Amino acid sequence: MSGKPAASAPVRMFFREAIARAAREAMQADPRVIIIGQDVGAFGGSYKEFAGLYDAFGPARVRDTPIAENAMIGLAVGAAAAGLRPLVSITYMDFLMLGLDPLVNYGVKARFKTGGQLSVPLIVKTTAGAKGQGVAHSQCIEAWMMSVPGLQVFAPSTPADAYLMLKAAFLAEGPVLFVDHKRLFPVAGDVPPSDAVADVGRAAILRAGDDLTLVAHSYMCRVALAAADRLGQSGIRAEVIDLRCLSPLDIATVETSVARTGRLITIEEGQKICGVGAEIIAQLSCLPLSFHCERIAALPAPISSNPVLEAAALPDPDRVVAAARALMTKPLHKEYP
Amino acid sequence: MDEIDLLRQMMTIRAFEAALMARPDHGFQLLSTGEEAVAVGLCAALGPDDQLLTSGRSIGPALARGLDSGAVMGELLGKLNGTNQGRGGRGHMASPGQGFFGAHAVVGGNLSIAAGVALAGKMHAAGQVTACLFGDGACGAGVFHETLNLAALWALPLLLVCNNNQLAISTPVQEGVAVAHLTDLARPFGIAHDSVDGMDVLAVRAAARRAVDFVREEGKPFFLECRSERLAPHSSATRETRSPAAMEALWSRCPIARIEQSLRASGAYGSGELDRIAGDVADEIDAAMAAADAAPFPAPEDVLHHVW
Amino acid sequence: MIYALTVPGPIEDAEEVRVLEWHCAVDDAVNPGDLVVELETHKALVEVRAAQAGYLRRIVCADGGWCAIGAPLAILSDTLDEMPGEQADDLPMLLVEFEVC
Repeated sequence: MSGKPAASAPVRMFFREAIARAAREAMQADPRVIIIGQDVGAFGGSYKEFAGLYDAFGPARVRDTPIAENAMIGLAVGAAAAGLRPLVSITYMDFLMLGLDPLVNYGVKARFKTGGQLSVPLIVKTTAGAKGQGVAHSQCIEAWMMSVPGLQVFAPSTPADAYLMLKAAFLAEGPVLFVDHKRLFPVAGDVPPSDAVADVGRAAILRAGDDLTLVAHSYMCRVALAAADRLGQSGIRAEVIDLRCLSPLDIATVETSVARTGRLITIEEGQKICGVGAEIIAQLSCLPLSFHCERIAALPAPISSNPVLEAAALPDPDRVVAAARALMTKPLHKEYP
Repeated sequence: MDEIDLLRQMMTIRAFEAALMARPDHGFQLLSTGEEAVAVGLCAALGPDDQLLTSGRSIGPALARGLDSGAVMGELLGKLNGTNQGRGGRGHMASPGQGFFGAHAVVGGNLSIAAGVALAGKMHAAGQVTACLFGDGACGAGVFHETLNLAALWALPLLLVCNNNQLAISTPVQEGVAVAHLTDLARPFGIAHDSVDGMDVLAVRAAARRAVDFVREEGKPFFLECRSERLAPHSSATRETRSPAAMEALWSRCPIARIEQSLRASGAYGSGELDRIAGDVADEIDAAMAAADAAPFPAPEDVLHHVW
Repeated sequence: MIYALTVPGPIEDAEEVRVLEWHCAVDDAVNPGDLVVELETHKALVEVRAAQAGYLRRIVCADGGWCAIGAPLAILSDTLDEMPGEQADDLPMLLVEFEVC
């Protein structure tokens, strides 16, 4: 395996290695940090995202669970309330649904309902996204979670952010839903040194542009960037914003961009109705801002493992480019009506 | 703790709940009428460093665990002197600093939470016992079986106490759980178990002590069933389904009357002493009510505090 | 003949690989079946073994380095007499083929 990275320079690594690195550093720094989940121990995680942790920290702190997401999350919530700092891994985001009761009815409400006597420093880490695994193993439901008061929702799109945001999640005092994506694991990227600190609540401008604003999170940032490249070749300069964090949502960064471009396309792999884009546009609509917009999301159908149907349902650069060209034909109204 | 103290604790619960229900603003309550011996007998077996989690039927256990009756009354009435500053109510009452990790109103919801508390205790609080009190109605929930499985697999110091009052609102336990005895549910997981008459506070205390000692010494889970009778409807908003005649017969099993009669019969306590205790209990309840009435409600802007 | 040892694209789920360790040095003889280099994808280790005899002449991507799919990892030649030029782009490729599970 690769040698230890120097603390002072960025190191290129795979997405899974960024996660393992953040987890390892958190576990070294704080004996209260534990990892629980299916296949997290000797197997090292379904994506090898916990590789090396079992050997380093042993079975008391890296615990394989049976397939029981309700109790897995409940146990992690209770352990956090009682003073541990657990990360519970839910391999497929689809099965987060099984554990929503302990997370939403206890985990995010414990501090409120006890008048501050309990806090729940818990990370629920889960992998979203479609990649040929069928209707019940492909979903992106983070939009359902961003409206839960008391729950932070992180969605990194790069190895650097996977590292920085997971590191920040281990230091949070309340529950964090950390959502990564099946299609991000093959990605390699430069990860900052151990002393780097992330401003997790701030969206990132991945690419600057004045003609229109593309807003995305997680894997869809790569779709947005690919679309922006193609648009750039025909003279359309798209600004690409990576939300990074869905709750709290950095609407200010999006507002600044849309105020300048006047054109917004939101891109998400989840559903359009009540999606991330719906929330962004609703918030912007209440501001003194004039803009044209389009939401791109999965088609309103289950995501099949059938390669033809899966590809048809998901957003891709072609759809973004087509929507962008259509938006570019709409004249801008620079004055507030 | 003497038997007289057990009686006093049960009388306190009964009088507290009666005083609460006499108020027009009593709110939605689940009472421990008939089930006081389970709460008192269990808490008599727990140590100060142990933790107790309960279902929504929390008033009796909270008082038995030693929470201040004024703070409990305040919590039930939504006042700032409440254990949770009035935010949780009966369904979520908590005082972790006093070994009452808290109630949770979701049926079965506290079981996996308790397993997590037990794991934290196993890792960082050697000898601590985490007890979770729940009803027969939770025994059909998936999370109940998931929790038994995890507790057995991971050897969690978890005491699961099923207060089997034989009714899940209107569903008799025989129609809710497909086993002959609830302790049968622990057997497949190899979890040690016992069953006790929940109307006999001395028997409950003895059985709970054996169970607590087992969990503390073995570091393994234990399942204790307390067979009780629900002498009131399920909640203050639920109608009674049993006949008056049936209720009269059940009242003959009242756990408070039982130990009171036994103490009188033993000659250890005379009427005067027992009346004095009743008077002390009444005074305590009056003081609790006065404290709650004197306390303010939270300010409306407090609604956004403690969310994050 | 001079060859560029290359992982051909496109490969689903792999844009680049990490070179873990070269198991032979410049001007070493390479025989069929010899372990030449270990690569790492996001999911697995890949052992690259020689399919034909030759000599390793230049390592383009050193230990710990990253190599894009389709870009040359190293230059090999049939004999030691041949002198590889500066460029690797137009050389015939020795292909490293694998699937990411």
